[in-house]
Amino acid sequence: MENSNTALVVGAGISGIRAALDLAESGHRVVLVERAPHLGGILSQLDRQFPTNRCGMCRMLPAFERDAASQACLRRGLFHERIDIRLSTQITALSGAPGHMQVSLRTAPNGVDARRCVGCGECAEVCPVVVPDPFNAGLTTRKAIYQPVPHDRSTGYVIDVQACTQCGVCASVCPTQAIQLAQDGRRKFHILVVDDELVVRDSLKEWLLAEGYSVRMAASGAEALEMLSGQPVHLMLADIKMPGMDGVELLQRSRQILPELCVLMMTAYATVETAVEAMKMGALDYLMKPFDTAAMMDKVAAVFQEQMAEQDESIAVGAVILACGSDYFDPRRGKNPYGYGTCPHVLTQLEFERLLSGSGPFGGALLRPADRRPVGKIAFLQCVGSRDLQSDADFCSSVCCMIAIKQARLARERGGAQLAATLFHMDLRTAGLPYQRWGEAACEQDQLRLVRGRVHSLLADPASGDPVLTWLGPDGQITGETFDLVVLAVGQRPAQGLAPLAEMTGLSLNPWGFVRTQAHSLVRTDQAGILVAGACAGLKDINESVIQASAAAAEAGRILHATGGTLSVAADAARTPPRDLSADPPRIAVALCTCDGALNAEGAAAALEARLNQDPCVSRIVFLNRLCTDDGWRTLVDGLNDPQANRILLGACRSDAFTPRLRALVAENGLPSQMVEAVDLRIYDREPSAASRQARVATDLAMAVARLKHAEPVRPPGVSVVQHALVVGGGIAGMQAALSIAERGYLVTLVEKQASLGGNLHWLRQTLDGADLTALLADTIDRVAHQPLIHVHLQTEVQSAFGQVGHFYTTLAPAKAAPHILEHGVTVLATGCGEASTAAYGYGTHAAVVTQKELEVRLADQRIDPQQLGAVVMILCVASREAPRSYCSRVCCPTALKQALTLKRANPATAVYILYRDMMTCGFSETFFTQARREGIVFMPYATDAKPRVTADATQGPCIRTMDSILGADVEIRVDLLVLATGLVPELPPELATAYGAQLDEDHFFRPADFKWRPVEALTAGVFACGCALSPRGVAESIATAQAAAQKAVGILRRPTIAPDAVTATVRRSLCSLCERCIDACPFGARALSPEQDQVLINPAMCQGCGACAAACPNGAAVVSNYSAGQMLAMIAEVVKCDV
Amino acid sequence: MLHSATERKGEGVSLEAHTASVRQMMRACIQCGTCSASCPNAGAMDMTPRRIWRCVQMDSFEEIFTSQTFTLCSSCYYCSLRCPRGLQPADAMAALKCIAAARQMPQHRSSTLFYRYFLRSVRRNGRVHEMEVMTGYFAHMKNPLLPLRYASLGWKLTSKGKISLPRPARGKGKLDALFAKVAQVEEEN
Repeated sequence: MENSNTALVVGAGISGIRAALDLAESGHRVVLVERAPHLGGILSQLDRQFPTNRCGMCRMLPAFERDAASQACLRRGLFHERIDIRLSTQITALSGAPGHMQVSLRTAPNGVDARRCVGCGECAEVCPVVVPDPFNAGLTTRKAIYQPVPHDRSTGYVIDVQACTQCGVCASVCPTQAIQLAQDGRRKFHILVVDDELVVRDSLKEWLLAEGYSVRMAASGAEALEMLSGQPVHLMLADIKMPGMDGVELLQRSRQILPELCVLMMTAYATVETAVEAMKMGALDYLMKPFDTAAMMDKVAAVFQEQMAEQDESIAVGAVILACGSDYFDPRRGKNPYGYGTCPHVLTQLEFERLLSGSGPFGGALLRPADRRPVGKIAFLQCVGSRDLQSDADFCSSVCCMIAIKQARLARERGGAQLAATLFHMDLRTAGLPYQRWGEAACEQDQLRLVRGRVHSLLADPASGDPVLTWLGPDGQITGETFDLVVLAVGQRPAQGLAPLAEMTGLSLNPWGFVRTQAHSLVRTDQAGILVAGACAGLKDINESVIQASAAAAEAGRILHATGGTLSVAADAARTPPRDLSADPPRIAVALCTCDGALNAEGAAAALEARLNQDPCVSRIVFLNRLCTDDGWRTLVDGLNDPQANRILLGACRSDAFTPRLRALVAENGLPSQMVEAVDLRIYDREPSAASRQARVATDLAMAVARLKHAEPVRPPGVSVVQHALVVGGGIAGMQAALSIAERGYLVTLVEKQASLGGNLHWLRQTLDGADLTALLADTIDRVAHQPLIHVHLQTEVQSAFGQVGHFYTTLAPAKAAPHILEHGVTVLATGCGEASTAAYGYGTHAAVVTQKELEVRLADQRIDPQQLGAVVMILCVASREAPRSYCSRVCCPTALKQALTLKRANPATAVYILYRDMMTCGFSETFFTQARREGIVFMPYATDAKPRVTADATQGPCIRTMDSILGADVEIRVDLLVLATGLVPELPPELATAYGAQLDEDHFFRPADFKWRPVEALTAGVFACGCALSPRGVAESIATAQAAAQKAVGILRRPTIAPDAVTATVRRSLCSLCERCIDACPFGARALSPEQDQVLINPAMCQGCGACAAACPNGAAVVSNYSAGQMLAMIAEVVKCDV
Repeated sequence: MLHSATERKGEGVSLEAHTASVRQMMRACIQCGTCSASCPNAGAMDMTPRRIWRCVQMDSFEEIFTSQTFTLCSSCYYCSLRCPRGLQPADAMAALKCIAAARQMPQHRSSTLFYRYFLRSVRRNGRVHEMEVMTGYFAHMKNPLLPLRYASLGWKLTSKGKISLPRPARGKGKLDALFAKVAQVEEEN
């Protein structure tokens, strides 16, 4: 089998899109498969994200080679020239080894030809079937023919096959005949009924005709055989017991004539065994008499679907990434103590999210769905179906706490100051770097009330129907309160279809049904070549999903590279070089699709032609028909075959659907992408009159002509790339980043200031789940040593650095040698973190007060003997999660559990107490929290205003006094060991980051371009960070960030030159007064004053074409090419019909 | 046959050994308060069930046994039904009652005796005869003022026909096998 440079990504949610884009950016081809008829997964329903309270999905789009992809809102569709998106498609088979896999894909026909659908919505208008709309979580309704995501025009309309009654009204009104109902197909599906009893034949015929099939009948086997040889038959229903030739013989003989014929046997109970025999001989199934009509029709329909569905397509891929997301707990299941589905004022988080959305049921107004009353008091109930052993969920769903906080803030924004939100929780898990502050702000600014406690059930007020909640406060008082709305944070469940997929691929799942990943990896499964990303291995927020998806892309890229799938640099180079148009006057060829004459209503085409011809730049106008068909497209290719034309304008319905093919056409013609415009003619839009429609179409086209006319034919020169990476820091993240880059074939220099590689892994022995870190360290060091593309510099520091993406100059200063300069194209900062120091709780005054790290080390070298310990207290969040270090260090809670369990298991008599604020055991580490309690470890929460007090006494062990809110009294514990979790602090020197143009955040961690959407890269191109330099994290997560950063780095390193994109800023030197305002305005650091100080330079690779410089420039000297003032004014002039 | 097997078991067993099962049952409690807010008898309890479980975790059984909370558990099982940790608080309450009975704790003598006479009546009659229970209970408590505390409730119940006069037991001894089996099971555990 040939090796393949293509990866398959299953699931087009955020993780799937991220993985696909990453692979495409690094030059691979991707087939992106999605079961749903739309892109975006769950995120298509969530408008705003924490901790920014806005959407930033578009930030995932490529920063380099922007022209290769769509550059608009990702919610409205995605295009990338190397990504083949298949919606409504599932994988049905998968086989082969990494690099050489064969995958079968099956696309469910959805009744609408996506290429022909213009999205006019006439069909939905007339459709008589009304069903709840899953997009709005059932709060609104839609028709059986619908747009899956209302704002995503790229997908067009689809038919909900389950709901559709096949009435055919939609097909009759569709202006482009895009709808092909299955009913028509059924008429062409011929069924032969063979039975000796007339009554059976007749009733079967009646039933099948009613379902729309074509039916023929035969009274005997001989007659049936005769019919089979004469006419087409798709399915035969044959009775087993017939005089003369019986059903089994008929089956055998018919298969001699038609080997592929589908046969269903009909049998009475007595002959079931014969029927089973018949199935062994090739019958598909059997139907039992007396017939159960519904079951029988289902079987026939299944055969029909199977036969009529497009044939499974088999594609060769090198690696597979599963990003199939997760499902959510249905609170109706089980005991349903919160009355979901019974009390109308109880919603799930997703429903509430839709309620708050502008595209939701009330346009974002905060009203109760049941009675449309404004909402004043909301209760958020956490952990519904998570952290709940009764619903078999001994795990935390990780994101619900943050979602609840976000929704509380959004609700406040919508409902105003009188809105009161209460959040019931056991632990408020604000475990991401910026989440703690966001949560604190919610309490301070938005008066979010936090209640530690669990509401046992919900009752509806008998008079008003409002939900009444009762809970036990921390003080032991039972409180009851009435709310307007209750929002349930439903936990995650494995995605529907994951189990069969796992069975098909041999993947192993964890006890809760999610994909089990290999030790120390978030992306590797036990099947080589199959990787996971996102929530199918446990629910994740966007930040973690995006990191994991990039890591999966890195691993997939490694597999593709290792098995010979070459990066498509060669393919890029083989393209026709763009024609030099700098000296040519604009000559625009216009191609317009008439859509079966709809454009030419009342002779509009002639007027249009006249209007466009007013412009002398328009060299020719071609009218075509049915551009959406292959024939139509061919006429376009022929019609535009004009070597004189150097700009192309295409007008058609849903022009965005043509983008991929148009791009290919343009590349063939050697035209740069800015020389092509596609205009959506919107012929079927509702307009007051035909005249106004014609006027609008003409104006749209004239604007596009104006835009093309002023298009900039010349692009600035590209930026050359030194295909060599520098990784600063030789901890586990640094080593992994170096390995991941080197394994893709690029040189890496790895710099470590210590005398050996390994960083924090030198003192860490194992993780909470028992994975061996010592072995991981030895193995990684060994792999680095044996990787010829990695040059390791130990005891070396970075002295100084400057440069920009593609070409950095770094002075490396070895301890025992002279400094030297390294030239490299990208920089990865993996400087790690260390344990924070403290003076709290008597640390430093008593030998028995140690930090978590010290305990780890002393347990390893046996300076602490668990047998000697009578009592141990661990205090968490020491000077963490409060000013000035208002962030959660993520690793301390799992570490405390690990150490507590180690001590308890070594000596069950040791009393271990953990004093905590909120246990951050997100995801599956929750199960260790349960285990720790079961083993008798005592957990006591403390509040920041009543912290534990330690009196250290030289003769005895330290004494800890802490207030236990449940006992309502101080508890005094005299211990042999007091362990402090002081948290992690970054070790990233600010001068190092700024030398490369990166910035640090308020906590001195690396500031990513966007915490959620671009988590491992700086806003300045070519600078990445991984591991704990980004934010505190565990070993497996650090490795994932390293892989993600490496993947991003490879996206730059893979080409010798970064070609600038069409929309790039330039400077008109003659107008520039060197005021430097543009330099300050540029968010990407793409502008700098030249060393000679006489001009502003722009790095075209770093410029993202945002236009901030053009807005800031007082002289009009900062220009964004292809968005110039002249161009824009010319377009405006076309609208207002006056000359400039 | 005045003392049940449960009551005899306490002799010579340490409190720690006795309470091991309760500790095992309730160690994994997360103090969410679901049990306590659910409990229909919570209003009458001097200590919330959640606090009881906290004391179990902290090994302060002395405090638990100063409280009457567990004797007030009517075994409605709301708490067990709703506990998010899948624990069995109602069973733990029952276990505490057994320990109190087994160790013949003076502070729980009253409720232990009440249970004893209640069960005796059930064993004899196959159902409770209120008059019989109360007579036995009062006689054993040897407190002449005690019946007066129940006088008003007794009057109310009698006027509504809720208290029947003692009748000759029917099917006497029919439940003996059942009680013997329970005693045997208790002995074994």
